[in-house]
Amino acid sequence: MAASKSVLVFHTLLPEFEYFRPKTLQEALELLDKYKGDARILAGGTDLLVDMRMRIKQPKYVIDIKGIDELHTLKYEEGKGLTIGATVTLDELLNNKIVKEKYYVLWDAIRQLADTHLRMKATLVGNICNASPAADSAPALLVLKAKVNIASVNGTRTVEIKDFFKWVKKTILEPNEMVTSIFIPEPPEGAKGRYLKFVRSAEDLALVGIAALVANPKDPAKRIVRIALSSVAPTPVIVEEVEELFKQDKPLSELAEEAVKLVMSKVSPITDVRATKELREHMVEFGTRYLLKTLLEG
Amino acid sequence: MGTKYVGKPIPRIDIDKVAGDAEYPYDFTLPGMVYAKLVAAPYAHAKILKIKYDEALKVPGVLAVFTGADFPFKVGIYAADRDVLAREKVLYYGHPVAAVVAETLEAAEKAAELIEVEYEPLPPVLDALEALKPDAPLVHEKLHEYKHAPFIYPKPGTNIATHLKLRKGNIEEGFSKADVVVENTYYEPLISQGYLENWVGVARVKSDGTVEIWSSHQSPFAVRNLLATSLGLPIHKVVVHHMYIGGGFGGKAGLLLEHIPVLFSMKLGGRPVRLELNREENYFYMAQRAGYYFKMKTGATKDGKLIAHWGEYILDAGAYADYTVNVARSVGLKPFGPYEIEHVHTDAYAVYTNKIPTTAFRGFGLMELYFASERQMDLLAKKLGMDPVEFRLKNVLIPGKSITHTQERLREDAGDPAGAIKEAAKLIEWGKPPEQPKEPWKFRGKGIAAFWKGPVQPSNAASSAIVKLNDDGSVDVLVGTGEMGQGTITSLAQIVAEELGIPVEKIRISPERRTDMVPYTWQTVGSRGLFSEGQALIRALEDLKSQIKKVAAQVFRVFEDQIEIRDGKACVVGEPWECISLAEMALGYMYPNGNTIGGPLIGRGSHVPVRTSIPDPETGKSVPAPFYTFGAGAVEVEVDLITGRVKVLKAVMVLDTPAINPLLVAGQVYGGTVMGINIGLLEELKFDKNGRLMNPNFTDYKLARAADIPEEMIFKCLGVGQKDAPYGAKGVGELTMLPWPAAIANAIANAIGVELYELPMKPDKIIEEVKKQRPELLEKVREALKVKG
Amino acid sequence: MAEKLIPITLKVNGKEYKVEVKPNETLLFVLRNKLNIKSVKGTCYRGECGVCTVLLNGKPVKSCLVLAAEADGAEIITLEGLAPFGTLAPIQKAFIEHGAFQCGFCTPGFILTAHWLLTNKPDATEEEIKEVLSGLICRCTGYKQIIEAIKAAAKYYKQDKQKQ
Repeated sequence: MAASKSVLVFHTLLPEFEYFRPKTLQEALELLDKYKGDARILAGGTDLLVDMRMRIKQPKYVIDIKGIDELHTLKYEEGKGLTIGATVTLDELLNNKIVKEKYYVLWDAIRQLADTHLRMKATLVGNICNASPAADSAPALLVLKAKVNIASVNGTRTVEIKDFFKWVKKTILEPNEMVTSIFIPEPPEGAKGRYLKFVRSAEDLALVGIAALVANPKDPAKRIVRIALSSVAPTPVIVEEVEELFKQDKPLSELAEEAVKLVMSKVSPITDVRATKELREHMVEFGTRYLLKTLLEG
Repeated sequence: MGTKYVGKPIPRIDIDKVAGDAEYPYDFTLPGMVYAKLVAAPYAHAKILKIKYDEALKVPGVLAVFTGADFPFKVGIYAADRDVLAREKVLYYGHPVAAVVAETLEAAEKAAELIEVEYEPLPPVLDALEALKPDAPLVHEKLHEYKHAPFIYPKPGTNIATHLKLRKGNIEEGFSKADVVVENTYYEPLISQGYLENWVGVARVKSDGTVEIWSSHQSPFAVRNLLATSLGLPIHKVVVHHMYIGGGFGGKAGLLLEHIPVLFSMKLGGRPVRLELNREENYFYMAQRAGYYFKMKTGATKDGKLIAHWGEYILDAGAYADYTVNVARSVGLKPFGPYEIEHVHTDAYAVYTNKIPTTAFRGFGLMELYFASERQMDLLAKKLGMDPVEFRLKNVLIPGKSITHTQERLREDAGDPAGAIKEAAKLIEWGKPPEQPKEPWKFRGKGIAAFWKGPVQPSNAASSAIVKLNDDGSVDVLVGTGEMGQGTITSLAQIVAEELGIPVEKIRISPERRTDMVPYTWQTVGSRGLFSEGQALIRALEDLKSQIKKVAAQVFRVFEDQIEIRDGKACVVGEPWECISLAEMALGYMYPNGNTIGGPLIGRGSHVPVRTSIPDPETGKSVPAPFYTFGAGAVEVEVDLITGRVKVLKAVMVLDTPAINPLLVAGQVYGGTVMGINIGLLEELKFDKNGRLMNPNFTDYKLARAADIPEEMIFKCLGVGQKDAPYGAKGVGELTMLPWPAAIANAIANAIGVELYELPMKPDKIIEEVKKQRPELLEKVREALKVKG
Repeated sequence: MAEKLIPITLKVNGKEYKVEVKPNETLLFVLRNKLNIKSVKGTCYRGECGVCTVLLNGKPVKSCLVLAAEADGAEIITLEGLAPFGTLAPIQKAFIEHGAFQCGFCTPGFILTAHWLLTNKPDATEEEIKEVLSGLICRCTGYKQIIEAIKAAAKYYKQDKQKQ
């Protein structure tokens, strides 16, 4: 739909573009550098192609990175962490034992992300780069303190996932940069996590998504509690103060009540076509309460 | 039943659908076909000042650009209020203002972007109640010029597209006798039929003036009639081809957009033109379902007898009310559930607004009505301190005795309304409180709703059928009813099999219909198919059988009444070894010496509804339908106060009718149940303050998924038949959807004590109303979620 | 922009096709309009409904969100490929016996998805069946008879697995 025009045209066909399928990362980065803002990376395509048909995005060049072997890494190093390449699909992660056992909160989020068919194509890196406030994997990656590995012809850099999102559908990526992988450090010893997704029906975008990670709840010295949310702000957010709060040696019941207030004060949900602000606030409050009770007492 | 085929769960005959070669209009192409693309206005209400399209015409492959000025006339079925393309002004956000036709869709889409329109925005009216105010902007200033059916009552100078009155008894007297009165306003938003095949039409005009169209429609003969009338063509010069369609649910009843490719083909020297909508276009360019306000005041005596009902029913018809005027007639003539009320006074209005046009949807307004009226029943029962089931049974219509809202005495074989309510109550274990789940934020409750419906059709809505006997004793059946998934053709094949004693495999009912080759039927709507085509078909079979008997009687030198037809043979009664096969006589019976008698055997039969009459314009007094199916639905729900979601755990449906095919009826029940529940809980077309539709896609217009269905769905047919119905069977397709929103709302009230008056009962609404009506419940949940330690 | 055609090879239902595609043509578009495989339908064109489901290298994907160019070299199974022409696979027969279709528009996607699920997991639970089907939309049936058909067909896939 062309919004600025005096007529609405609802397109059936995708806009025209030139298609590249590089074999190496270097080749991809050179193309990206050459076409800068006019190019888009195609991994799973499950978001990009929709936005293109709707004419929300109209890249002149599409760079399909699925032919690049080095981006298809899925590597776990004991004591260090897990590296997930840019073309690893959600389905591959869902079927990966390490992800399910070590990074349950991420597995739990992926399980609820889109549907079986889309997960065959969609990638974790794509979910992050699309930068939807409703991205299901983002809260999980936030509580796991994931790092985003970025490359361009000028070199590589790594940023914390919490610094990666800039605004609705906007990331800190420069036009000539792409994400090559996500690195998730070894989770805290004994950590348990869950992703609670509020939906309207069995297949939906998150009205509110809450990821929580808890380790050693009974031991104030070693206790770690982290909470991150989707669909409550222009970007997915982690409420960093929660982790600080739970370092205090106070009764859990008290800390939990304070944590709920803290989370409520740090989010700014809006009313949109999917839910009202009031419902989202309710979900944030009761969802946080539910997760804290389940994980702190469990 | 002592039958071999009727009443049995025989698999559907349209099995090409699982093989992959079933053909839909979506798959249909013609050589040399060109592509049309519509472009629409981004204003809900605006004057069109200028349309510029010279740049569009320059795109290679573009053949023409059309605007409203090219087609200075209106089309429609009950109220001819539709422009081909907007003329003078646009009436809703997404109203087509121009169209491009090009050699390829790609060129058409490219050119469409280059059309420029200048508008002068006008204040829109976006709410039906607002539209009724005297100073409201008028959607149709020239309403007085529009043609309409005689039973439609538009009010020029207002936004009223029709007004239906129903008067029975004396309403003042009624309320003076009432001991308890319940008065409420109910609201239901516009929703979408949500069929999967977007509308497609391929049309061509031949040199002799014949117009041919292949399109996604429910009713080929209605399309033919309306195309011919709208375009001033002789009926026989319009040939409508019906194929399988990917769902209709009322949204493809009547004339759709067929006139557009036909007119374009006419202007382009007969080139075949294809107009295929994508999903967004289907939301904007096809008609959706109206929104509703029901204002109701219902009174009962203290011993639990309904005594008076007053109502004002206001349908938000959107920019075009073409078909919705008849939906207003549906709720206007059946203004309450299956109960006898002495004094009834209701007014139903279809009102124009600057929103998406509206049309029929499965149930034709009655699911919407029963949400309100079956809530009234529960609220009255509560006030009376009576059990809701007992209250319903005390007032339920009694066949042979009760006088309906339209002052018709119900025929004695009309069905079993009370039996349906009783059976539904039994199956949901009414009276036994649901077991509450261990999570203290989840609450369970039960609810029930009763319903009735007959087809809303003109009193002369006819059907016909032809049965041809083939050389090998197989049979071709010709009917005009459309196949959109409901499965009528399988049931009709069962009737043929039963009557001729031949297996279903020997019967062909082609998925294709062309209006010049199959016999007439009025429309495929209103759950009338089986009842109407079925009767016509039985008459056609009688006709065929009498011809068979005539031939056989001559061969065996006996009277015709001494011939019986069994297992595909005509035999002498009492001497089953004296038979000739139907194959032997299909094309004429030949004696050993070559002499031949009979001839190709063809049976024909017709049906028109009996007793149905035109409603009195002042009171609605009439026999509006040839049958009513009665039933009841009951649910057990679970309300989750963390998520705000309502889950239907168990859904029970009882229908009074016999089933020709229990497997097909089961499919209708499960499908209608899941659809009705989803409408109750989730579905709405959302508009912003400028009248823009916000959710024209499946991402935000939520349809139910497999994991959303109730854990348990149970249904039962009571088998109480109407004598003139085929094997007693009445329609079920729409009926299966009617009770759910009401039953769910009643169950929610039972579960958490929150009364709801609006659809959908989505999480936002549940939590909002709990905060207003039962805030202590949320406190309880907070308490339960307190962390220990 | 000059339209550059991309030559690709697709192996569809065991048959190899060499076809030239435009970059912006989806796999759905090419299967229907260039290879004339019409069982593959489209309706939402945004990955919601799954009527365009095909098995791409053995996995169910929504072909409206796959570029034809991306699928170069892939093996594709559509409904036509489940059984030799004129015969029906057990899953198709089960759909008939259980009344698991009405208008039929979504049916190809459901059957292919069910076939994939049962091939990989013939002992799938009802929960798992519902979960996998939830990527698809059927507006007619209410899903119950589809689920019943899939459960009934599972025995054939179990037998196949045992034979292997």
